[in-house]
Amino acid sequence: MTSSELLVGVVLPYIAMTAFVVGITYRFSNWSKTPQPGKLTLYPTKGWDTSTAVREAIFFPNLYKGDRLLWVLAWSFHAALAFAFLGHVRVVTGQLDSAMLALGLSTANIATLSAAAGGAAGIVLVVAASALLCRRLLLRRAREISGGPDFLALLLLVAVIASGDLMRFGSTPIELAETRAWVISLFTFSPMVPTNPAVLLHAFCAELLILYLPLSKLMHFGGLFYTLALVRRT
Amino acid sequence: MTNEESVVNAINAIKKGPKVLKLYMDACVKCGTCASVCPIYYGKQEPEYNPARRSDLIRSIYKKHNTLAGRLFGGLVGAKDFDEATFAQWQERFYSCTACRRCAQFCPMGIDNSVITRKARTILDGLGMTPKSLQKVVSISLEKRNTDGASAEAFKAAVEFIEEEMLEEHGTPIRIPIDVVGADYFYLPPSGDVLVNLEATMGIAKVFYALGMGDKWTMSSKCFDGANYGLFTGNDVHMKAINEPVVQEAKRLGVKHLFMGECGHAFRVMQRMMEAGKWWGSLPFKVINCMEWTAEQINAGKLQFDKTQNPEPVTYHDPCNFAKSCNIIEAPRIILKASCADFRDMTPNGAHNWCCGGGGGLAAMNELKEFKMTVSGIRKRDQIKDTGATYVAAACSNCKRQLTQLMEHHETHVTVGGVHDLLSRAILIDGKAAKRTNYLQ
Repeated sequence: MTSSELLVGVVLPYIAMTAFVVGITYRFSNWSKTPQPGKLTLYPTKGWDTSTAVREAIFFPNLYKGDRLLWVLAWSFHAALAFAFLGHVRVVTGQLDSAMLALGLSTANIATLSAAAGGAAGIVLVVAASALLCRRLLLRRAREISGGPDFLALLLLVAVIASGDLMRFGSTPIELAETRAWVISLFTFSPMVPTNPAVLLHAFCAELLILYLPLSKLMHFGGLFYTLALVRRT
Repeated sequence: MTNEESVVNAINAIKKGPKVLKLYMDACVKCGTCASVCPIYYGKQEPEYNPARRSDLIRSIYKKHNTLAGRLFGGLVGAKDFDEATFAQWQERFYSCTACRRCAQFCPMGIDNSVITRKARTILDGLGMTPKSLQKVVSISLEKRNTDGASAEAFKAAVEFIEEEMLEEHGTPIRIPIDVVGADYFYLPPSGDVLVNLEATMGIAKVFYALGMGDKWTMSSKCFDGANYGLFTGNDVHMKAINEPVVQEAKRLGVKHLFMGECGHAFRVMQRMMEAGKWWGSLPFKVINCMEWTAEQINAGKLQFDKTQNPEPVTYHDPCNFAKSCNIIEAPRIILKASCADFRDMTPNGAHNWCCGGGGGLAAMNELKEFKMTVSGIRKRDQIKDTGATYVAAACSNCKRQLTQLMEHHETHVTVGGVHDLLSRAILIDGKAAKRTNYLQ
């Protein structure tokens, strides 16, 4: 195990996950605890409840009304991200595979399905992220409010996506079993390191992103439930 | 304290709340959607008019002092310490936002930039940096209890004049009761609707008369202005000081309803802030709005109209404070459709309506005339033009002032007035509409 393998395969995962959990817990609890005297109801609103929150999180209706092109980019980006996230669950656990096998799919079917869905998500992600980056650089009203954190977040995402795509489309295809063994070894505190350099590269980019996330505007994945609720409560 | 200490202290205080401001310091994703729906940015695509960039004036200082990333990485993460040169632009920047809240309706995160604008204005006010024009309105309000600085005598004379006008129109005395203890309704308009745009108050008086409730309402010679510029300058102490005498007067008169006139921000302060926030505890009266009340009477079939009195095409401008903050959208349309032969809506309308360009107190700032005519009002001008209407009704003195100037400036030949103004021309009193055909405006 080289020192960089040790860093990426063992040390950073623990640091990143700890920072992530502590960071987002701190931010959410901090937001929750801050007092809000008075309401700022903004119409039109039908109030704020769970179904509204879920609809906002899934379809971005506000953005749809405000900027259709951005909605197309942002929605396809986030939808593909959710898809890719779901795919990553397979890395952690065999449960999804078992479920699919129980449904009558063969191991080969699952592999094909995963390759098709994961590959599609990977392509959509890289296209959408690049388009969002171009929009930020080319569209005046976005460019004039963009700064370091905006580009940093996008570039980190692009790095994670590109390295992920490299794993799927690159010359040394990844072995799910090996990657799963690595992740499980982390959970059981008996660390080992994957040998595929593409996996290590992808892991490194992801670790940086996870480290940065609690400090960044990417917290909007939870923040929007607070901010939208504030103007929607009647 | 230096400017720097005052500004930084005030911004640091945000971390203790209110929650809305604190979240707004953290939650912006810089997507630019606010700019695409902002009336100011529509008028002129300049970086300083981009809402997110304006809000960043505060956000960057907050980040510098209150976030780990900001302290560690500074400019790299959008954090920037206070500097006098940037602060020197604050007044102009935060008084080029009309606080219309349109950005918040389309922001994917639901960020209401008007909250940040008001916070900045609070800070400016604390340093005596509120524009002189608005400072003057606030001090006149505090001293005279109305934004026009009118005396009780002037008010009574105006009311007498309105009564004479109505007598002339209908040949029957329609009274406007003043200082009647024990009345049910205490009518509180913007003072302009008594002193300048008389027809609005004529409309109200006629509605009460037609319902046989001519003795159930009253005005006050002490408090005849609902306007509250403390909302615009960001000074909560002033806002409450301007509000309190009205509440006291309503209590003294023993009314059941504080009956607010056609003034969006006055109603918002009174109902959404004072009443809902229980500024003065629980109240013996309820805050209601004249348009909702009249619309109810129309829906109940209690009022009759002669629409031919208003044959011209009429459109309605939704004041932001009424539509976006108080959800009063249908009522004015019910009144206008009952009173006018040709009512046309703008697109978009209701809560998604575009600001007149004079919101947030800007209407009262003559020094911003150029900006209001050529930047903030452009979208509204086009919207009105597109309807082909020759009369635009707006239930707000500030909107009316801005729109009147805007229509004149662009030579559109569109008349601007209120909602009850048109009702006043068409409502049947003892079976007959007003005889008048030539109106003051």
